[in-house]
Amino acid sequence: MKSIWENYKTDVAYDELMYSEFQPRPMSHSLCQYLNSLKKEDIDKRKIAAELAIMEMGITFTVYTDEGNIDRAWPFDIIPRIIDSKEWNVIEKGLKQRLTALNHFISDVYGEQQFIKDGKIPSETINSSKNFRKECVGMKPKHNVWANICGTDLVRDKDGIMYVLEDNLRVPSGVSYMLENRVITKRVFPELLQDINILPIDDYPAQLQDMLSSIAPVEGNPQIVVLTPGIYNSAYFEHAYLAQQMGAQLVEGSDLVVKADNCVYMRTIEGLEKVDVIYRRIDDDFLDPEVFRKDSALGVPGLMRAWKAGNVALANAPGAGVADDKVVYAYVPEMIRYYLNEEPILPNVPTYLCSNKDHFDYVMEHLAELVVKPANESGGYGMLVGPHSTAKEVEAFRKVIQADPRNYIGQPTLAISTAPTLCKGKLEPRHIDLRPFILQGEKTFVTAGGLTRVALKKGSLVVNSSQGGGSKDTWIINMENS
Amino acid sequence: MLSRSAERLYWLARYVERTENTAKLVSVHMNLLMDLPKGVEMGWQQLVRINGVEQDFLEKNKAINERTVTRFLLTDANYSGSLLSSLTAARENIRTTRELLPDEAWEQVNEMYLYVQKNLDAVSNRRSRVLFLNEILKGCQRFTGLLSGYMSHHHPYRFIRLGRNLERADMTSRILDLASLLLSESRSDELRQYETILWMNILTALNALLMYRQHVRTRIHGDDVLDFLLHDQHLPRSVSYCLQEISDCVSRLPNNDGLPDKVTELTEYIQTINTHNATQLQLRGILDDLQNKLGAFHGHINSNWFLRATPEQEG
Repeated sequence: MKSIWENYKTDVAYDELMYSEFQPRPMSHSLCQYLNSLKKEDIDKRKIAAELAIMEMGITFTVYTDEGNIDRAWPFDIIPRIIDSKEWNVIEKGLKQRLTALNHFISDVYGEQQFIKDGKIPSETINSSKNFRKECVGMKPKHNVWANICGTDLVRDKDGIMYVLEDNLRVPSGVSYMLENRVITKRVFPELLQDINILPIDDYPAQLQDMLSSIAPVEGNPQIVVLTPGIYNSAYFEHAYLAQQMGAQLVEGSDLVVKADNCVYMRTIEGLEKVDVIYRRIDDDFLDPEVFRKDSALGVPGLMRAWKAGNVALANAPGAGVADDKVVYAYVPEMIRYYLNEEPILPNVPTYLCSNKDHFDYVMEHLAELVVKPANESGGYGMLVGPHSTAKEVEAFRKVIQADPRNYIGQPTLAISTAPTLCKGKLEPRHIDLRPFILQGEKTFVTAGGLTRVALKKGSLVVNSSQGGGSKDTWIINMENS
Repeated sequence: MLSRSAERLYWLARYVERTENTAKLVSVHMNLLMDLPKGVEMGWQQLVRINGVEQDFLEKNKAINERTVTRFLLTDANYSGSLLSSLTAARENIRTTRELLPDEAWEQVNEMYLYVQKNLDAVSNRRSRVLFLNEILKGCQRFTGLLSGYMSHHHPYRFIRLGRNLERADMTSRILDLASLLLSESRSDELRQYETILWMNILTALNALLMYRQHVRTRIHGDDVLDFLLHDQHLPRSVSYCLQEISDCVSRLPNNDGLPDKVTELTEYIQTINTHNATQLQLRGILDDLQNKLGAFHGHINSNWFLRATPEQEG
């Protein structure tokens, strides 16, 4: 019988689980031993069982296409990704450090602007940021925290070092998939999970609830709601899931109303009920038609009034996205030094800002080797991966950058790490990233691991679910007690 | 709870109940036709008739037969009253109220939906249709059972009970419509011979045969069956019992202004219905009237709890 590992290549990039085809890294020993003890049919059976569970649990995401919106089953690879808890502890500290610095920065931007005055960042970079909201100047959210929920994307390069690729501070999604992936793994590999010391992740909803309570403007038992754009949003499943797990109300804009007293109420069968905390999953632009986009039917007229009056907490705070800009990203290591007087624990990927003359020239010269991204897009749209593009595509993109240099950054193309992924009954290396979720309110919390996304297409570096990506369960393993 | 959620739960329950009733109706009708000799006037057209959709049906189908009627009632996505459409609507409603319900409730509805999608062709063949209908009936029962066992019997649950019982009362009255055909003066002697079997099937369609035997204890007789299904105080699918359930929910829900009186009115009206010695025409008139009153009651629920009051109105 042929091994599922046959011809497994570990020379494409750093492999998370294997030194080589025959040699697992220490923390993947038990997993490999177990997989090798299974017959090929057994592995196939488990894959089918996982797919069935996903269908029945109705774990879906929506893809927007020309033919309309399609609800797709969440593509899941049953082979987990494993990280040693010793390494994880360092990453966790680094993530807390980073979000703390980012929140200092956002407070500063909407306050004294000392970082700008001290010449650490050009004022144009802030003023020209799409996500800088002048309406938020002077606001002081509770605990001085603006970004309460952050999803930070990490990738490991061939040198084995984990780099921060970006900080998602607006409405990061994916945490429900992280939780559901574990539920499925428990169903599919019950024997395995019993014997390995994997850190649990299922307290996330409780932590989220604690964090949201901690930012409420009132003491006691605040009324928390999750504000969704509705069923047609690609992350609707997650909105409903989190509301359910927290026992919070899932509301749409039309369920809420702001009255003359500048308080937010929801329309219930008992009349209007006051709302204290809104975990909003709607972008700033659509939040309040009185202030932002006038045509927004998703938001709540007057919501900004209520927030500014201190009668309701919004998570994340409006305007927090100013730090979720790929140009501002380049300054995060400096923020850590400036606000915390510490050295960054997690490194940034070297970043060339096209707004800077020298950097711009460098990007133009090396375009075919670089990854170039727009400063404010998410979902992997509108970017150029130089080495994977034709000369024609590169030239076309050059014009796009030249037209709007402020909006583009360049980064070296990383050989992002791989992990064994089940492809047609065999294991093959596929590129992966990691999105841990960090909560900050009164306290700071990091998920044990996060959502591992995998580019299912051979050689592809794009892990976004809307573009052919899937996901894996992520195990943080404590090697010392096992 | 949100008005919007209340409305969706109410409709979720109505659609699941409708799914179950449609499955039950087709299943019982199949059994009935197997007992009757070929050529008697009870045929598949009656099923279309009691749902009041003859015109819809005839626009799409040339022939009225087992194949076209079952396909129409079970899997026609373009007929809003089909089992498939009801289940799809139930799934959409539960998808938007998941946060209020146990996970298993969503999974149950989703599983049934996937099952139906996968077995659309099963309904054309009698044997696989039986299996298909059984699966749906069991699924609906599991759904009802797990809500009853897993969910706090508070406001959200009351809206579910409200929807379920209003739908149930309506369906019972429609099944009695089928009975009214039996009273037709012009029915043949041949059909008259099978009257007991027909009434038994009416009872079976409402899972009431055993209870009828235990409580009425006479041989099956049309007037008694009608009376039992309209007025019995203990049978879960009798119209009166559904009204008791509705009354209980309404009285415990907040902001129920005026609605308890409306329930009392409706209950009293049902008590006065007398079907003894009614002719077919009279019975049809009575049932039409009952269905209209149930529809009007839905209107009261809707305007009382679901329509969003403007903030000015609510002070």
